[in-house]
Amino acid sequence: MRISRRDFFKETAGATGLLAFGSSIPAFLARSAAAMEAGQTSRESVLVVIQLSGGNDGLNTVVPYQDDTYHRSRPTLRIGPDQVLKLDSGLGLHPAMPAFRKLYQEGRLSIIQGVGYPRSSRDHDVAMEDWHTGVLREQMPPGARTGWLGRAIDGACDPGKTDLRGVFVGEIKAPFGLHTERAVVPSIKSLEEWLPTGAAWSDSTRPLESGTPAPASGPPLLAAVAKATVDARVMQQRLIIANGTLHSQKSAAYPPFRLAQNLALVAQLIRADLGIRIYFVELGGGGIGGFDTHANQAANHGALLRELAESATAFVDDLNHDRLLDSVLVMTFSEFGRTLTESGRRGTNHGAAAPMFIIGGRVKGGLWGAHPSLTDLEEDAPKFHTDFRRVYATVLERWLNLKSEKILPPGFTTLDGVLA
Amino acid sequence: MKPDPNDPAWAWAPFQPDGARPWDLRLAAHLYRRAAFGGTWPELQRSLSEGPQATIDRLVHPTPEAAAFNRLYDDYENAAAASAGDGSQAWWLRRMIESPQPLQEQVTLFWHNHFGISNVHVKASASVCRYIQVLRQHGLGRFEALLDAVLAQPAVWICLGARDNGKRNLSDSSIRILMDHYTLGPGSCSDTDAREGARALTGWIISQGELRFVPGEYDATPKKILGQEGDCDRKALVRILATHPATGQWLARQLVRWFISDTAKPSESLLAPLAKQLMSEGNIAKGVEVVLRSNLFFSTEAYRQKVRSPVALALGIIRPLEGRTGTVQLAADLSRLGQELYEPPTIKGWAVGLAWINPLTTLGRAKLAEALLAESGAYGGKLDPAAVASRHNIPANDGGRQFLVDLFLQGDLAPESVAALAAGGSATGSIDARSADLRHVAARLASLPEFQLA
Repeated sequence: MRISRRDFFKETAGATGLLAFGSSIPAFLARSAAAMEAGQTSRESVLVVIQLSGGNDGLNTVVPYQDDTYHRSRPTLRIGPDQVLKLDSGLGLHPAMPAFRKLYQEGRLSIIQGVGYPRSSRDHDVAMEDWHTGVLREQMPPGARTGWLGRAIDGACDPGKTDLRGVFVGEIKAPFGLHTERAVVPSIKSLEEWLPTGAAWSDSTRPLESGTPAPASGPPLLAAVAKATVDARVMQQRLIIANGTLHSQKSAAYPPFRLAQNLALVAQLIRADLGIRIYFVELGGGGIGGFDTHANQAANHGALLRELAESATAFVDDLNHDRLLDSVLVMTFSEFGRTLTESGRRGTNHGAAAPMFIIGGRVKGGLWGAHPSLTDLEEDAPKFHTDFRRVYATVLERWLNLKSEKILPPGFTTLDGVLA
Repeated sequence: MKPDPNDPAWAWAPFQPDGARPWDLRLAAHLYRRAAFGGTWPELQRSLSEGPQATIDRLVHPTPEAAAFNRLYDDYENAAAASAGDGSQAWWLRRMIESPQPLQEQVTLFWHNHFGISNVHVKASASVCRYIQVLRQHGLGRFEALLDAVLAQPAVWICLGARDNGKRNLSDSSIRILMDHYTLGPGSCSDTDAREGARALTGWIISQGELRFVPGEYDATPKKILGQEGDCDRKALVRILATHPATGQWLARQLVRWFISDTAKPSESLLAPLAKQLMSEGNIAKGVEVVLRSNLFFSTEAYRQKVRSPVALALGIIRPLEGRTGTVQLAADLSRLGQELYEPPTIKGWAVGLAWINPLTTLGRAKLAEALLAESGAYGGKLDPAAVASRHNIPANDGGRQFLVDLFLQGDLAPESVAALAAGGSATGSIDARSADLRHVAARLASLPEFQLA
């Protein structure tokens, strides 16, 4: 059985026991909580970032199948015209990604080609930190660094308020991209970790709170914490429903992959309308597997791309079914692409530029930018023509409506023709 | 003297209880929350009879057993840091819980926050562990000695972005951290001062995890820093920065923010006497003492004007309940709530105040209170409010509920809430029922908005 976003509000209406708070909760708090309860908050745009850990081979993701250099350089790894899933301009997707070709054909998938940055690092940690911070390493001492999404979250949080703006959903330690200076960005492995189950919490927020000094007139700190407690109670009810119906939601449409399970949870959180604007999920990190395909790449890379494409597409279909896709944008990135030339171990080495996927209900769709030349290389890897900070700026300015000049170094203009 | 929180003379004068501000359980618990992560019932009772100044004597003067305790824990901590890694954080939490001198741990945490060195960048727990021990060792001594010792730590140089600082100077932004954030405060030195200061730090190179001085890499040409000229090396730079009046003002501001209020914006003139105290003797303990003894500390400007950090929240449950609860799980839970020891977000430290709170962390905090007080589970039920109540011969006429209110929230629970609590059908029957009831009530109190404030 599917649960729709309307079910959240039908089921939670009144369940938060706001009436039980009594008259000492000031009217404005009760009103805002009631509005949240009824799902009347205006829905803001949501960004879901998928990190592909290890350095994804862009050339076998968006394949230049008509390019002789490509075929010559990859004797065993090359994907031929008969296998590739053809797009336009002599390019095709890896055969493990029919799900993404469907999205492409529906106009819900944009591919930004040739993304990278000047003097890009080929060290995993250094390159990943560059992508996470958006500020190149020599420009800032380590101790002062924050993530670009962390800065976006800090910027989206009003001082004196207690909104939750960003979360990481996954098993590994939250990536540095979410590193903030101020706000706490929670990591969610499972909702059980976060939900109080005993009676103590519900008891404390019901009758006892009715006796707390009226927050509107009390000290501002207490008022703000009391408001967060009211919000937490609404959130708890939503999360209980989200968690309780997660299983039926997953079995409805999601494949049994880890990324899909995490995205199913993200979809539940989006449906629950919690005010979270930035979600971060990850594929390939945490020890085994991953995109760092130095040897015997073919099967591993295909499996990863299948997990990515089928999981993200299930997520898109799920949101679309609930008419939420227009407010959600998915963006993938990896710390670098890989070398053109296949190594003796039937793998590829650390490279430079690679494509990024941008998915959603309000993307332009199609290919953006030229496929990088395979004859004009930088140490055997495709060169970038589009700095990744321009993609970030586009997402920040044109999707999240945040001022990118407060988040990114100066000089990165937005891209036309990616978002609708 | 008329009470005026903006008048430096009144603000820093030692607090003397009077009719308007009597010495009561609220103020005694306030002192213990800020200085010692929370007080036990016997500590609060003794404080009530001894008065504020005698209690502060007790808190600031190290007991003889503190040195032995710390020596032992240093060894445990080093061993843990050398082997697995995260274990040393659990040892620090245990030290906070069990230390005979909790103020020293509070101050160590203050400096950890001040310098903001993070293992996210250092990637070597043993190195961060050693640095934290330096903060503990010098944290209540002279600031110059502390700064000198801190700048001898490789972990610090890594976070400043100076892995190999040969004749190539520290970058402007790195030296700015030292000057604008660690010492003088923002806007107190010119770009020239910063560049000259960077030259004073040449010659120090990190090799194989150790900081070494390579004389050939040191730039020995004369420098002029903040008006002082000469062949200024690292030690001389430390002296110039640590004794500069702006440093006193900046450190005073940090102490006020840490010990007194998240929200107050003290004027420079209000801070001046405290800054002078810090600088004249250069002794941090004296400065902390001035803060704790002050009228300002015991005023409404300070009272419940701090949001408890995750560490302060957990310790504020564990210490009053005299618990010896496991800290490996605790370190993980605190990290989830946004405070991973060894990993403050940036060199500016953790964002204090409301930044700790959002609806999800509020649920997480309630979940932690619930887990700490559960009869079984991750924390093994080691906190037992009923056992604490009977140990202190609390009359059980209401099943011990009022005792918990006094221990956790003192007079800060509205009468209606106290009534609601009393009406909740307390368990006065069997010992087991009473124990379960008090666990429930304690978790319930610890989930209240009021309890999130220190």
